Amino acid sequence: MNKDIAIHLKNITKEYPGVVANKNVDFQVFKGEIHALVGENGAGKSTLMKILYGIEQPDEGEILINGKLEQINKVETAINLGIGMVHQEFTLVPSFTAPENIGLGQEPRNSQGIIDWKGLNKLVVNIAEKYGFKVDPSLKMIDASVGVQQRTEILKTLYRNANILILDEPTAVLTPQETDELFTVIRTLVDEGKTVVFITHKLREVMEIADRVTVMRAGEVQGVSETKNTSIAELASQMVGREVFLQVKKDDAKPEEEILNVEDLWVHDARGLLAVKGVSLNIRKGEIVGIAGVEGNGQSELVEALTGLRKTSQGSINYLGENIASSSPKNIRRKKIAHIPEDRTNTGLNTQLSIWENLIGNSYFRKPLSTNGIFNLKKIATHSNKLKEDFDIRAPNISLKVKSLSGGNQQKVVVARELSEDPILTIASQPTRGVDIGNIEAIHEQLVQMRDDGGAVLLVSAELDEVMAVADRVGVMYEGQIVKWVNPKEVDQSQMGLYMAGIKD
Amino acid sequence: MEKFSFKDVLVTFAGLLITAFIAWVLISATGNNPSEVALYLYEGGFKGTRNIANSLYQATPLILTAVATLISFRVGMFNIGINGSMYVGALYAGWAGYKFTTLGHFTHVTVCILIGMLVGAAWMLLPALLRVYAGVSEIISTIILNFVAVLFVSYMANGPFRADPIAPATPRILETAELKQIFPNSQFNTGFFIAVFVAILAHFVLNKTTFGYELRSGGDGLVGMYPSRFSSYLGIPSDRSAIIGMLISGALGGLAGAIEVLGAVRYFFQELEFNQGFDGILIGILGKLEPIGSVIASLFYGAIKNGGFYVDYKTDVSREIIIVLISILIFFVSAQKMVKGLEKYPLIKKLDNFFSRKKM
Ligand SMILES: Nc1ncnc2c1ncn2[C@@H]1O[C@H](COP(=O)(O)OP(=O)(O)O)[C@@H](O)[C@H]1O
Ligand SMILES: [Mg+2]
Repeated sequence: MNKDIAIHLKNITKEYPGVVANKNVDFQVFKGEIHALVGENGAGKSTLMKILYGIEQPDEGEILINGKLEQINKVETAINLGIGMVHQEFTLVPSFTAPENIGLGQEPRNSQGIIDWKGLNKLVVNIAEKYGFKVDPSLKMIDASVGVQQRTEILKTLYRNANILILDEPTAVLTPQETDELFTVIRTLVDEGKTVVFITHKLREVMEIADRVTVMRAGEVQGVSETKNTSIAELASQMVGREVFLQVKKDDAKPEEEILNVEDLWVHDARGLLAVKGVSLNIRKGEIVGIAGVEGNGQSELVEALTGLRKTSQGSINYLGENIASSSPKNIRRKKIAHIPEDRTNTGLNTQLSIWENLIGNSYFRKPLSTNGIFNLKKIATHSNKLKEDFDIRAPNISLKVKSLSGGNQQKVVVARELSEDPILTIASQPTRGVDIGNIEAIHEQLVQMRDDGGAVLLVSAELDEVMAVADRVGVMYEGQIVKWVNPKEVDQSQMGLYMAGIKD
Repeated sequence: MEKFSFKDVLVTFAGLLITAFIAWVLISATGNNPSEVALYLYEGGFKGTRNIANSLYQATPLILTAVATLISFRVGMFNIGINGSMYVGALYAGWAGYKFTTLGHFTHVTVCILIGMLVGAAWMLLPALLRVYAGVSEIISTIILNFVAVLFVSYMANGPFRADPIAPATPRILETAELKQIFPNSQFNTGFFIAVFVAILAHFVLNKTTFGYELRSGGDGLVGMYPSRFSSYLGIPSDRSAIIGMLISGALGGLAGAIEVLGAVRYFFQELEFNQGFDGILIGILGKLEPIGSVIASLFYGAIKNGGFYVDYKTDVSREIIIVLISILIFFVSAQKMVKGLEKYPLIKKLDNFFSRKKM
């Protein structure tokens, strides 16, 4: 490999009010390599990359690009230096097509200064072809899948002649298939001479795609290694700062009486199409039932129906002997059913509110948190601080807006709230999406603890590993139906893959 | 909501400085003496009982319209029709002020105020229902209703409620309906205390009650975000919150109008002109959508406004220039990014850390 250094961040320190996001960070990327930057949520990865991309200014430290000292105090400078960044949250105009988004602000113009749309489309299609991906120039981003949106973001950087691409947690939002496609794209990019910085906290992906990896924890670099000389376990312990159990530790379930019995449930989706087609399942006290399956096979609608967020069309949901189908979310919540939703930022949280305001969402109306409709702020503070401690929510104080927390800590706020009111049934949907290893472990432990304390748990997840490790029984969902029930100890991944593709036996 | 931080203090200060500079240039350009104008502005706003009283009088409706604005914003609704509520509230409070002839002072004032609030709230019912049940943007419907309100009250003052054959105006309200003016030669009246009380109440309800929590759970900083998924997920009916928020907002607009008529103007006439409903939006934002912040911003705005009248009277700088300057000031004060780079200086950072520390 060519050992020219493309990026050298030297001794970078960056402090936000109350938190040191980067502390004397030294970060080197060789030209032409795929360099993974890993670390738990809040480790300071995004901050470091924002500094490189000119969005944030370091308090201390230097940036060398291709060996030359550079002052990157705005994004334009970074772009001119050939740096391109795809953010964790996409920055596309939903009503624009891919070429319109890609060319935005730098459209080719004809001699009268009028935008040459045809030329733009051609240019975009050419770039896409060069790197081996397809674009549909007429598809608006609002109708595009997440994978397509992400490729559009990547094309946007290539259109601006990026040589160094920073991808901030690109796989957090992707299905396994889309992840594979992304990896193909990344490999092509590197073959074409680009350098890629790939941020993630999924270590399996690091081992699969990266040449080298830098691990960060709490704003500091913990180590740099070549992937061929390290292991997932080693990286995980560097990341978390202690040994990590990649397997969920739990005893066999001791299920007791039935809590939930869903019979022949049919549910329509937002567009009025049938999404759940005759699902039956039951959950007993003291067990975790998992629902596996590729996303978009009716899992979301199933969960929404169970939690009252969506009307059912047919069938019954019997909870402790009472049919709660099409009941209101309020009624369902008051019956001690907790819900960790898949959409954290818009449904599970109001990110504009403070941590404590989010933590009391299911308990604000009860004593002693409020009396006769008036808050007891002291009691609320005690309650919230206890949850913050118990669930290890990393924040300087509970008055901080949830918006300013990292994704993993945001999820901990949701989990803490939902598990706090002694639920009888807990419905967890994609509970560890976008959450780092250390916290995934914690959330899994908490779900198992719920079970061992006599709760019933429904775990819906597109992460096969997760369902297989945590659940005691697993149903595979395909096209709105549960096509197979399995004991996770008795099947292997490839068999599950077939069920997930709708092949029954 | 975001609490005040040291950065806000800095921004406000910087905004004041820049505005002062622009003011100096503008006023010099009109051939006047800037330092003389500044002196009159200060005197008119703050010097002597009468000026202070008048400043407080100017602030009274602003406090209410700012709180009305922030309540709607914080339930996630973008209500810009508070001026309309103010007009209809003023008209009907005025009507009640001469219509009920047998009531004692306290009862009569209370009835007039409640009627003004009720009508102001009713004025917001349509946009709220249209938003919740038909998906019509409340921005558009409330803007339209502002125009409707002006035409409606002028028709009423001209027709059904007209008393005077010469001028299109309602009869003067009875003495039993008056909010007392406290200082001689000033329109300052007890309505001011009502306004401050309402703001404190709003602060308490929004931040310290379950009702307030339910109202803002879906909005609060997410202006125009109704309907919120977070509320419905928690089992809080966001439709109800949106409607109630709009009604409260309208009621406070109506209250602002009622106080103007009961406390200062004492009758309603066709040419009566309100714009506090719009100023309230700016002030509410300036006060960071917090009731107490809005009171402070209103007091400041009221003083500048009154100072502006004094400048107008004393010099040939017109009061419009002062209004322009206030707008410029608000423009700069809301320019948060202005001090963005400053936080890299250790002193500023320390101060900022210190000021953003919270109790909980
Ligand atoms: N704009 C900001 N203001 C204050 N704190 C921030 C800001 N951005 C990030 N932080 C804090 O800095 C730390 C590092 O965040 P970040 O770089 O986003 O982590 P990562 O990308 O590794 O998850 C976190 O504790 C986060 O809460
Ligand atoms: Mg990040």
